[in-house]
Amino acid sequence: MDVAGVLPWVLRLLLSPQVFAPVVFPGLATALVVLLTVIWAERKIAARVQMRVGPLYVTRRLGGVLQMLADGTRYMFQEFIIPVTADRVPFLFAPILALTLAIIPFAFIPSAPGFSPIKSPYSLPAALAAISAIPLSVLLMGWASNNKFAIQGAVREAFMGLAYEAVVFISALSMGVLYGTLDLEEAVARQWLPGIVLNPVAAFTFFVGMVMSAGRLPFDIVEGEQEIVAGPFVEYSGIIFGIGMGLAYLKLYSLSLLYTLLFLSGWEPLVAPLYSVYPGIAGIFLFVKAYLLMLFVAFLRSVYGRYRLDQALRAGWRVFLPLSLISLLISVVVKVVGCV
Amino acid sequence: MSRQLASFKLHLRAVATGLKYLFLPNRITVYYPEEYIELPEGYRGLIRYYPDRCIQCGLCAMICPASAMKMYRTKTDRKGRPGINYQRCIFCGFCVDICPQNALETTKVHDVAYKSLEEMILPPEKFSQEPISPAVAGGARKLKPVFDEERGLRHERV
Repeated sequence: MDVAGVLPWVLRLLLSPQVFAPVVFPGLATALVVLLTVIWAERKIAARVQMRVGPLYVTRRLGGVLQMLADGTRYMFQEFIIPVTADRVPFLFAPILALTLAIIPFAFIPSAPGFSPIKSPYSLPAALAAISAIPLSVLLMGWASNNKFAIQGAVREAFMGLAYEAVVFISALSMGVLYGTLDLEEAVARQWLPGIVLNPVAAFTFFVGMVMSAGRLPFDIVEGEQEIVAGPFVEYSGIIFGIGMGLAYLKLYSLSLLYTLLFLSGWEPLVAPLYSVYPGIAGIFLFVKAYLLMLFVAFLRSVYGRYRLDQALRAGWRVFLPLSLISLLISVVVKVVGCV
Repeated sequence: MSRQLASFKLHLRAVATGLKYLFLPNRITVYYPEEYIELPEGYRGLIRYYPDRCIQCGLCAMICPASAMKMYRTKTDRKGRPGINYQRCIFCGFCVDICPQNALETTKVHDVAYKSLEEMILPPEKFSQEPISPAVAGGARKLKPVFDEERGLRHERV
């Protein structure tokens, strides 16, 4: 292959849905920007509600929007300490595994009609499976750290993972029953009304499960800053700690993309001019909706106090699991009665 | 189940309250190093020592509940003079109250952030100097808290 032929080949590769969607939009590159801005926005929102100013001094004119970039740079140059008593290989391997698992869902999330990275009739369970495998690597982190707090945090992660992933799975399944498909692209196409109207109970339980299993403040029962320091991440320092922190947001980002696809009619209304230019960027509304949803979840931080582990588990098993089963029933009824 | 429904209503109310503050923010803090709130008369801030009035009785060091005040003795001065450790001080003002000669006085300066722990320990020589607020020295604007019927507290330029 000559040199002139390489450039179009690379461009074609980059613009193919298999690469563009998971790597550029709405995948990895966008996720990074989302991570930086959402963490900043969360701090700003919490500050507004709590009558404060929030981060300000990094790029003061823009309201401190580059604060997270500064923090990230600091993490980058911090010393990375491996404790002597830690199990070295899993200790280093677990965060990388967690990050990889957090990125995998982007391989199944379509950004526009006909623009799925992997077109599969089972893309919804596949994405959810990758997301719900993250607690396993967090468990490994806690185990490899060889630390009391880390082990406690890991056990909490296991408890919370079981309780709320079940809720998320069943509510997603009930939407699958309602649409008659487990393909995310098809699911959007079959929403003649937004899914949140068709099955509000499923939308509610999926939302709660999403917030709880993403484990962000104040539902950071796993990390439990006040009780068990940082849970599974207690022995991690430097950039790996940054990864641990970003993990919750990455998980939240992919879950809110799934939420948008299932309940908020995805990329509809489709921007037709953009679609004719390049279908990859036509899913702008999908991104906007998911981003607003993330901002709402970030806002919840300033409203709620912390839940204890037993409170969260009781709510999960006694309230939200039955509710999600009810949502499944509603879906079956709606399907059988024949509204769809 | 009725309990859960009742709590659901409370959740909604909490979210609504949060949203109210999000869209109609009611900021009560000030941009501190550029602005500062004027403290009222009699404010118990950093303590100043007047060595010429002191009779070296040591009552201040004795009364201090946090053991922040200590008498510094030298070979020539066996009775000693008080020095303060702001790592420990709780700004209760007992030392000021107990002093029979009014040799100690609270000031309106309360900028107690230091770059090193050693700076927080003031021996008698340093203790007798006027405390300086870095914010005021840096040319910060002075603000005055004003009671506001709607907002609660408001800060006005003086």
